[in-house]
Amino acid sequence: MSALYKFAHMSDIHLGAFPDPMIRDLEKQALDESVKKCIELKVDFVLISGDIFHVGIPDLSVVNDSIRIFRKLQHASIPIYAIYGSHDYTPNGTSIIDILETAGILTNVMKARTDEEGYIVLDFFTDPKTGAKLTGISARRIGLESKFYEKLDKKRLEYEKGFKIFAFHSGITELKPAFLSEMETVPISNFPKGFDYYAGGHIHKKDEFELPGYPKVVFPGPLFTGYGKDIEETARGVDRGFFVVSFDEKLEHVEFVIIKGFDGDFFEYDATSKNSHQAMREISQKLDQLEVNGKVVIVRLKGELSGGKTSDIDFIELRRKLVGRGAVYIQFNRFSLRTKEYEGNRVAGEDVQAIEATLFRENIGSVKVTQPNLKGKEGTESAVELLRNLRQQLKIGETKTDYGKRIVASGIETLKLKQEFKDE
Amino acid sequence: MSKNELEIVGQVIGGNVGSIAIREKNGKNIELGDLLVAEENEGGYLILKVFNLGYGSQIPTEVRELAAGLKLEGYSAGLDFMDPKLRNYTMASVKGVLRVNKDSLKIPKVLPTFFSSVRLATKEDLEFLATPPKYPIYLGKVRSGSKVLDIDVHLDGESFLTHHVLIAATTGRGKSNLVKVLLWSALDARKFGIFVIDAHDEYYGRNGIGLKEHPNARGSLRYYSPDAPAGANTLVINLKALEPEHFDGIVSFTDAQEDAISAYHKKFNETWIEKVVHGETIEGVKDVTLRVLQRKFKRMLGVYEQAGELICDSDVFSLTAGASTVDDIVRALERCQIVVVDTSRLGEEAELLIGSIVASKIFYNYKKTKGKGALDEKPPVGIVIEEAPRVLAQDKIEQGDNIYSRIAREGRKFKVGLIAITQLASVIPTTVLTNMNTKIILGNEMASERSAIINSAAQDLSDEDRTIASLDKGEAIVSSIFAKFAIPIYTPLFEEVVAKRRQNSKDDGFDLSKSKLLLK
Repeated sequence: MSALYKFAHMSDIHLGAFPDPMIRDLEKQALDESVKKCIELKVDFVLISGDIFHVGIPDLSVVNDSIRIFRKLQHASIPIYAIYGSHDYTPNGTSIIDILETAGILTNVMKARTDEEGYIVLDFFTDPKTGAKLTGISARRIGLESKFYEKLDKKRLEYEKGFKIFAFHSGITELKPAFLSEMETVPISNFPKGFDYYAGGHIHKKDEFELPGYPKVVFPGPLFTGYGKDIEETARGVDRGFFVVSFDEKLEHVEFVIIKGFDGDFFEYDATSKNSHQAMREISQKLDQLEVNGKVVIVRLKGELSGGKTSDIDFIELRRKLVGRGAVYIQFNRFSLRTKEYEGNRVAGEDVQAIEATLFRENIGSVKVTQPNLKGKEGTESAVELLRNLRQQLKIGETKTDYGKRIVASGIETLKLKQEFKDE
Repeated sequence: MSKNELEIVGQVIGGNVGSIAIREKNGKNIELGDLLVAEENEGGYLILKVFNLGYGSQIPTEVRELAAGLKLEGYSAGLDFMDPKLRNYTMASVKGVLRVNKDSLKIPKVLPTFFSSVRLATKEDLEFLATPPKYPIYLGKVRSGSKVLDIDVHLDGESFLTHHVLIAATTGRGKSNLVKVLLWSALDARKFGIFVIDAHDEYYGRNGIGLKEHPNARGSLRYYSPDAPAGANTLVINLKALEPEHFDGIVSFTDAQEDAISAYHKKFNETWIEKVVHGETIEGVKDVTLRVLQRKFKRMLGVYEQAGELICDSDVFSLTAGASTVDDIVRALERCQIVVVDTSRLGEEAELLIGSIVASKIFYNYKKTKGKGALDEKPPVGIVIEEAPRVLAQDKIEQGDNIYSRIAREGRKFKVGLIAITQLASVIPTTVLTNMNTKIILGNEMASERSAIINSAAQDLSDEDRTIASLDKGEAIVSSIFAKFAIPIYTPLFEEVVAKRRQNSKDDGFDLSKSKLLLK
């Protein structure tokens, strides 16, 4: 009996997500460890289901580091296959993923064209060594995701013989976790049936599913961490890593490989019925009891203070003490902390993204606009994306003028106002 | 002869408030259920409804019997009555249903003028029905006997839905067609959420014409099925969504089993079913009880343990997928969407359980919202339940309160209503039937069923027994606290409604047939 083929399936690496150099180092280490594992496990190829980088045009230092790591796979003759994630896009067109493909670091396996009837035809990419047939759909722009899947020529994909892998970077309606219930998703019925493996990305939670017609739908979750919530989950002990999939003519085995991103400690404190000074004292005492040396420390505060201001809690002092005891990174999550005395901080949520989305959703009705895409749900989504684009930082060597132009152009693109600005 | 004289169909000749006697004009063929008009002074008029027909004759019975004998036995082939149009006629028993005077509509407390002429009601006489309410739900056209008048009948969706609706009929009288027309109209309004447990997979139109043809379907219709066609949602519900009370009135448990369920839920919260199946022991729960529960869950939910591993081979329930399905459905309802869940491939218990999960979630969400004083921001939600006695029959309610009986009793306060469809209204307790403030009564041959409906109707239908028995396919009577009188209606075929819309859309330059999802 011949040995089984193997591939690694990872996704949502989000390189460059955190500005903190310590976390960036940890992030780099996690990717490096993953690559080493892939080489050690002798995988035949690596498939990344989107969001390799946190932004479409990342810092060049992040790109440089990642290329150095990815080249180790090249040296081991392990090809990298990928699709675009939602973060890999730039409103202006070319993304770093295109550059990596041009440089021969990876291959984008989404090969799409439109037939004469308007259906979207996907071609398979065949891995030369294993014969595995890969195709997939990259993340689409907001609101276009479902429509793209609806127009997919599924029958053609279903007829294809062989070991088939479908890569995608979307939430699936029936499979999304409860905490993402409001996320825009695609119903599984819009996916082609009969693939051996559905390699998912976008959902930051490791999960495996089996549904009739879809024998293995897998989300590895973030390799390291992409958002504040991810780092919190990792600190709480949630496993991070990637899947290794063994196959010959059919799927044989799926195994999760854990990558230890960092040693973490998670501390949660409910300030309900405490005033700000009591809360400060108790938090400080409890943090003193934690062994934090060499660890990432995540502190989550929630509840409603009976008196005082949230700013009475001296986070600088708490941070200073933790750093003094050797904590490598500290994150205070106080989005769920409120006070009775002030109207501010009205919306509580798990992280910044959730709070922003809630605020946009609640207030979208008060903005008077004529364009339908700026109203309702689509308007909320556009606002979230606009905010994300506005957070893009000045690149090394980029002039302020160019930076300004880039940000404006991405804003126009996001709000679909190209037509209105075509003469400018 | 004047036009008015031509329109006259009869004359009031006697009777009392409950039964006014009218002699039919020869050749006019008054029908059971006909709406007649007796005009009053100053433009006012009374609307009368025919509830019985009989023969009248000036010739003594003995003479008629003798004449018939002579004819039948061949003694006198040419024998006939003298002035037959005068001597033999039809008598109609009618009852006043509405008194119209300018803009005032009142329940009649007077008789029509003695010996006054009556004519058939016209579109103009019923013009007051033509103004649709703010958020209309279309039910069909006004009917007089078997004649359809060109007046659309709408009820206000918000009041109609939240005050519960009973649709009662025997098989083949057009219940499904009526519900389809009603849902189509709700898709027009986009002001209500309606949850439809579709036991026969007949509403969405998977293999034919259905609600999916509606121009608003893309944004306002969600379809769930265990075998979803492209673009629809696969019906999969995570076992963690199940709570002990969802089984109330649907599955029978002994006291010991109920205690065990309660203990597991208290200890393990959302993973309680997994723990039961896994055989996790709890103090006070006997092994035998646990084993019976495991068997019941395997049968109902398809979940069991094999070689230490939990397996769920249900078509609908899952250990991993469907974590947000119930939330998605509830959110869709709160966004004024119609959610159709195809349960045609499921067993009865699974079907009712799914309904129970969603109905509970929406009911308690709305109850909570009312507690926060924000219920005004939520749209009314209706829950369509077919073969309603499965959860609303006397014996089911006696087994324990279930979410449907709770909604029937309290839902109105929280803007949640039932649209209960049944062939057997008689097994639903009067307390529940009375709470169904709109009854759409289609044809029914069974006297006991007619009696149950008549006794709980919003209007006095005590004389309508024969009329209800004679209702043909598509014909119905709408008795509602939101209608001034029990309105006889004819609901057009759903296919005709769709065809008409298509035609109207084409006339407006929009081809509905091309608006369907692009599927391949």
